[in-house]
Amino acid sequence: MGVDNDRPVMAITGTSKGLGRAMAEYFVGKGYRVAGCSRGASTLTMEGYSHSQVDVGDERQVRTWVRQIRDEFEKVDVLICNAGAVQSALLMTVTPDDVLQTFLRTQVAGTFYVCREISKLMIARKRGRIITVSSLGVSLHLEGTSAYSATKSAVIEMTKILAKELAPLGITCNSFSPALFMSDSAQAMGEDWSRRLLAMQTIKRTVSIEEVCHVVSFYASPESGSITGQVINMGLVC
Amino acid sequence: MTEKRAFELIAASLEKLRKSGMLSAGAAVKSDTILLGIGSPLDSIGFVTFVTDLEERVSTETGRELYLVLNEINEFNINQPNLKVEALARYVVTLSAR
Repeated sequence: MGVDNDRPVMAITGTSKGLGRAMAEYFVGKGYRVAGCSRGASTLTMEGYSHSQVDVGDERQVRTWVRQIRDEFEKVDVLICNAGAVQSALLMTVTPDDVLQTFLRTQVAGTFYVCREISKLMIARKRGRIITVSSLGVSLHLEGTSAYSATKSAVIEMTKILAKELAPLGITCNSFSPALFMSDSAQAMGEDWSRRLLAMQTIKRTVSIEEVCHVVSFYASPESGSITGQVINMGLVC
Repeated sequence: MTEKRAFELIAASLEKLRKSGMLSAGAAVKSDTILLGIGSPLDSIGFVTFVTDLEERVSTETGRELYLVLNEINEFNINQPNLKVEALARYVVTLSAR
């Protein structure tokens, strides 16, 4: 019990598939106790992984989840706000309202609620690492992503402001935009979309989960205590 | 929960901040002590830390998940933030009774 309590705790949102699931697997393998969540049931059964069904766009569900984390783990050392939505890339002129609302709810409100509640646990301990996942779409101003990229841009701004607010308590907040990672969501966007995105990247290839987690590990490292409010754009010079 | 008990919880949170160095040693906590706004001894991060700690104490005291939501406090104006201990204590009593 004492040894287990020494293990660091990582909370990750959106762990049912893609990047979130891969990060959860990776960091459990690295010795973290991982508390993950998604709207659906767990797709991961690993020792060291704990799953909750949470709609991050629902304030009450987020609060309940974070309380459960506190009761089970007593702390959160690292938070990865990964939950997001990916939908077909329509130009703004023909983007329906429900698509906009989905992105606002999941990516803006969801990130806001999760960061707000998890930061309370970190404030109590005066330490922590908050990492949000943004998108290269923000820097590339990708056509067809007006709602998506606008909300991911909001995630970056929230991260930077939170970085300044929590700096006095030794809590860092950073963001990263993964280069194209061949998740189910990316594949659902179609080959043409992936080809277009790769062509716009400076490093014109997909990235591995190890490369993505290397960025997370850098941000989460005890030696990165002076790194805050930063955005790492993988595979892109912008 | 009584207002007296709510006051004690508020005072305990403030005392914890004093011990951690986030609040300078000073006058005792009174009903008209300003927690937020001009005249408050707490800076913004101090206030956040205080609210986080108080929320924890209130939840432990009542055995229920309770969340302090500032704009639920009658006397609180989100556009001109100003909060005294007495107003917060009254709110905590109301919250605990829900």
